[in-house]
Amino acid sequence: MSESLLCVLTEDLLIRVLHHLHSHADRKSWRLVCKHLHRVESLTRTTIRILRIEFLLSLLHKFPNIQELDLSLCPRIDDGAVRIMLTQGSPTWTRGLKRLLLSRATGLGHSGLEQLVRACPLLEAVDVSHCWSFGDREAAAISCGTGLREVNMDKCLGLTDIGLARIAVGCSRLQSLSLKWCFEISDLAVDLLCKKCLHLKFLDVSYLKLLIWFSVLTHHPIPLIFGLMFIFCCFTTPERVEITSESLQSIASLLNLEVLVMVGCSLVDDAGLRYLENGCPLLKAIDVSRCNCISSSGLISLVSGHQDLVQIGAGYCLSELSAPLVHCLKNLKQLSVIRIDGVRVSDFILQTIGKNCKSIVELGLSKCVGVTNMGIMQLVSGCDSLKILDLTCCRSITDAAISTIADSCPDLVCLRLESCDMVTENCIYHLGSSCLLLEELDLTDCSGINDTALKYLSGCSELLRLKLGLCTNISDIGLSHIAYSCPKIAELDLYRCVYIGDDGLAALASGCRKLMKLNVSYCNRITDKGMEYLSHLSELSELEMRGLSNVTSIGIKAVALSCKRLADLDLKHCEKIDDSGFWALAFYSQNLRQINLSNCNVSDVVLCLLMGNLKRLQDAKLVHLFKVTVKGVELALRACCGRIKKVKLQSSLRFLISLEILETLQARGCKVRWD
Amino acid sequence: MDKEESLCTNTWTQTNRGNGLQTNLSSDPSSSDYGVRVETPFKDFNQPSQMQSLLSKNVTKIAVQENCAPSDLSGTNILQNWDASLMLNNLSFLEKKVHQLQEIVCLIASQKGQTFGERNELLTQEQQLITSDLTSIIVQLISSAGSLLPSARHTLTNTSPLIQQLCQLQGITVPSASGSGQSSVQPQINGANKLSESSVQNDQSNNCELEQKYKVEEHELKDEEDGDDGENLLPGSYEILQLEKEEILAPHTHFCTICGKGFKRDANLRMHMRGHGDEYKTAAALAKPHKESESQPELIKRYSCPYAGCKRNKDHKKFQPLKTILCVKNHYKRTHCDKNYTCSRCHIKKFSVMADLKTHEKHCGKDKWLCSCGTTFSRKDKLFGHIALFQGHTPAIPMEDNRRTTCLPDHDNQDNSKARGMSFSFGLNPSSENGVQNVMDVKGNMDDPVTCFSPLNFEANFGGYNEFTQPQFDDSEGSFSFLIPESFKSGGVSSSDNVL
Repeated sequence: MSESLLCVLTEDLLIRVLHHLHSHADRKSWRLVCKHLHRVESLTRTTIRILRIEFLLSLLHKFPNIQELDLSLCPRIDDGAVRIMLTQGSPTWTRGLKRLLLSRATGLGHSGLEQLVRACPLLEAVDVSHCWSFGDREAAAISCGTGLREVNMDKCLGLTDIGLARIAVGCSRLQSLSLKWCFEISDLAVDLLCKKCLHLKFLDVSYLKLLIWFSVLTHHPIPLIFGLMFIFCCFTTPERVEITSESLQSIASLLNLEVLVMVGCSLVDDAGLRYLENGCPLLKAIDVSRCNCISSSGLISLVSGHQDLVQIGAGYCLSELSAPLVHCLKNLKQLSVIRIDGVRVSDFILQTIGKNCKSIVELGLSKCVGVTNMGIMQLVSGCDSLKILDLTCCRSITDAAISTIADSCPDLVCLRLESCDMVTENCIYHLGSSCLLLEELDLTDCSGINDTALKYLSGCSELLRLKLGLCTNISDIGLSHIAYSCPKIAELDLYRCVYIGDDGLAALASGCRKLMKLNVSYCNRITDKGMEYLSHLSELSELEMRGLSNVTSIGIKAVALSCKRLADLDLKHCEKIDDSGFWALAFYSQNLRQINLSNCNVSDVVLCLLMGNLKRLQDAKLVHLFKVTVKGVELALRACCGRIKKVKLQSSLRFLISLEILETLQARGCKVRWD
Repeated sequence: MDKEESLCTNTWTQTNRGNGLQTNLSSDPSSSDYGVRVETPFKDFNQPSQMQSLLSKNVTKIAVQENCAPSDLSGTNILQNWDASLMLNNLSFLEKKVHQLQEIVCLIASQKGQTFGERNELLTQEQQLITSDLTSIIVQLISSAGSLLPSARHTLTNTSPLIQQLCQLQGITVPSASGSGQSSVQPQINGANKLSESSVQNDQSNNCELEQKYKVEEHELKDEEDGDDGENLLPGSYEILQLEKEEILAPHTHFCTICGKGFKRDANLRMHMRGHGDEYKTAAALAKPHKESESQPELIKRYSCPYAGCKRNKDHKKFQPLKTILCVKNHYKRTHCDKNYTCSRCHIKKFSVMADLKTHEKHCGKDKWLCSCGTTFSRKDKLFGHIALFQGHTPAIPMEDNRRTTCLPDHDNQDNSKARGMSFSFGLNPSSENGVQNVMDVKGNMDDPVTCFSPLNFEANFGGYNEFTQPQFDDSEGSFSFLIPESFKSGGVSSSDNVL
């Protein structure tokens, strides 16, 4: 009956219908209806994300019109796998491929990458971000793709000027390039890039070594000594700083550049920004956050040169937002996003922004000093189109301000109020009744939030992400209000909400069926019963349940059996879970990608089993396993060393584990962190 | 003539006063005159302001001379349209001047016998003036000759290169003036180098010292061999010397400035110099080797390469002369000789000039910046400049920094997997033999990309723990299907779980 009905619809119509299905679950249901629909779906599908390499070849056969291949979540992508893909797969699958996502594919070598890139004649985008072991050779392999428009090499730690030069010369049609955390890149290569790739529209040079080092110092203690050496060099030879401006000078020559991200480039100064003033005529968005050496005057010159600017990020780079700068902002008619985190502001400044920047959609005032009720009220009274407002750590904000926000900004989608202690249920009432479009609300560490507040909040039925971490005054009653009124919630943080227990989870399991990410760490009231409720959440993919001292193997087994999509599991300090629980995980949670077993009660054998059996496991934290011997850790590492990408081990094991294993891990692209 | 003399004396007294000041300044009043004389050039050298004044005086005098000879018509615009009568005027004027100079030199020569002490110093000053006069004469000579060639006009309007050369010439003839000329006109020559050089050889006579200096400079600037193309000397305005091949290749370091003959030792050169005339037989005469040539305007010496067909050979159509004997030597060895010196580091690069080898060895191995075209650079910025300039060139990635080999050697793998299997059997519960088997399989996998897709893998994994009854995994089919896609049974359902 239904099948005959579907037969009436032409493929053309079916395809149209299919275009309106976006979520994976919906598409899966579609595929399951009948062969006909399945075929339509297979033929029209353009993107595919491979989770297990075993299925790669058949999937490539099945979906002949693939344009985007995502192997970033697939373990064990190495040169051999690439060879098999290219030789044994259908001969045509690479022909239409346009995007290749290889983020975190650390096992891949340059020869495999080159084969892949060469096999795809239409390739437009390659993403090898976070392949920390990648360097110049891999860059050279990428540069074989002469038609590439988009390259992402974030955190390819081995990339130097030479590699970037290869890309600059090889991929002259490049439009988007991200080089975040490529510490070895210097101004020389940036200059060459700007000479060779004239079509660049997007450039991310955040945290580049020559341009920074200060933030490297604060964030990564290890290269401290190099950092100090570098700073020494900088200060003894002033022309070093000059080089930085030169880099911006060459960037300024890019006529098509629209987005420039240079977060944490501490050597960029006002002189550099002045180069930008006269260059990059199409610049739409700029982020100079954490650039310690720039001042208001530099920003003013930048802004005065670009009247069409849409987005400005200037967090943590100015000590104070000066009146002349705000005056300049006034001229930017298109400006819609301002982020000035960590800057001292005054009521007057906020008022000026509110009066002049009417079209502002997103405003970031996170950790700003001097944000008061008065300032916020004056600000929002003008900006009625505000959608995203970040007031993280603006501690003097009270109900009055939030109520005004709720009343003046009906379109508000995202509100972050972390650590705003004075916020109580009164303002949440206004939010719940006025901001019906609210999707994201961060109330972390707002001790004023209680069950009544959550009841009021349940008016926001569109909520997707809710953070209630450290709200110690909420209980199961409040949570059940949310659970029953906000069915769309996908992400919920209940970190250290100590009064949340099994009943709350029961409400969640019945109300929020789409929950994908849940944090119930240190909610000690939760027992095995609660875990059984959780097991009904079939979409759950990330579960953080640290320190649940009342959960035993029975609870975790329930989750392992039912939550098939579970990919990220944190069991740190769940000491009551014993081997049988982990065995269950090893056999049922076949989609697990990350696991934290620190301080867990796991034995040698089960650890080996777990690591060997979880075919998709890529990241494991194995610290303080008091029942596991050195031998056990070694065996576990051997069992998983073909596919694991990151492993955290106790530093006391550093010299006990055989060197050969560590070398093998290293050679397979696995990073070992020592705790 | 009177006017000239008055001018001369005027400048002379001025400079004399300056020198007097210098003498007073010198801390030791008991220093001999000779000492003062030797000292002054260096003092002068250290005081650029005075140098400037000296030089500017020379220049202004040239201007004055031009003014006092109306037929010369000091502008360049006149020279542009050449006519014979004007040239004749010029020549007669020059002749007059040469005569004047001749008389002055005669006067000095007659005084020379009686001059001692302070007079000696005056003499030096006079010589300076004479050389500057000579310079101006040569300038005029060349300029009038240059007016014949329209192409040379440009160099006339901009006389600075000429002056530069002349000052060099001056430097050879008169030591004290040479310092000033070089330092102010030729700033590219390393002054410090010269100073240190001269201080080392302070004990020698002024003249020799300067000659030495010149050699050193030539050695330093040996690349000028090709760089002097732009000097635009007119054919015939200089004397061409051509040394024979044997002479060029002889390991000489001292050369006669008159005939170009080379010697191993300076003493031999001095012996040789005696043959050029009696004046070289006294120590005092040795200090002035060019005295003879002062009586008549000396032609600039340029050298020709003996190799027929070479551009540096005088018979070549576009002959470009070589500046010095050292240039001849280096040129001949570099272009027409075998490269016998091999770099001891790279064993690739060969040189025919020892100095080139030394320079290369200093940087050999540091040329780590390699372009795809094969060119190496010692500096990264040079490489990047090169790449920016040439389309399609990319930096080459050196082979040695192969950090991570993607495939371990085969025999290594074998050993590893065996070792792992062994160690595992120790650690694991010995009762489950299957378990051992299974983990060995796992290891086989990771070393061999093909076996990792083997269906055995999956079966073995569960062999040891089959007490765990469980739903059928997608895995079983999947791992089969990877190699044999046809065997995929209910593929649509099972695989849909593995794609997002």
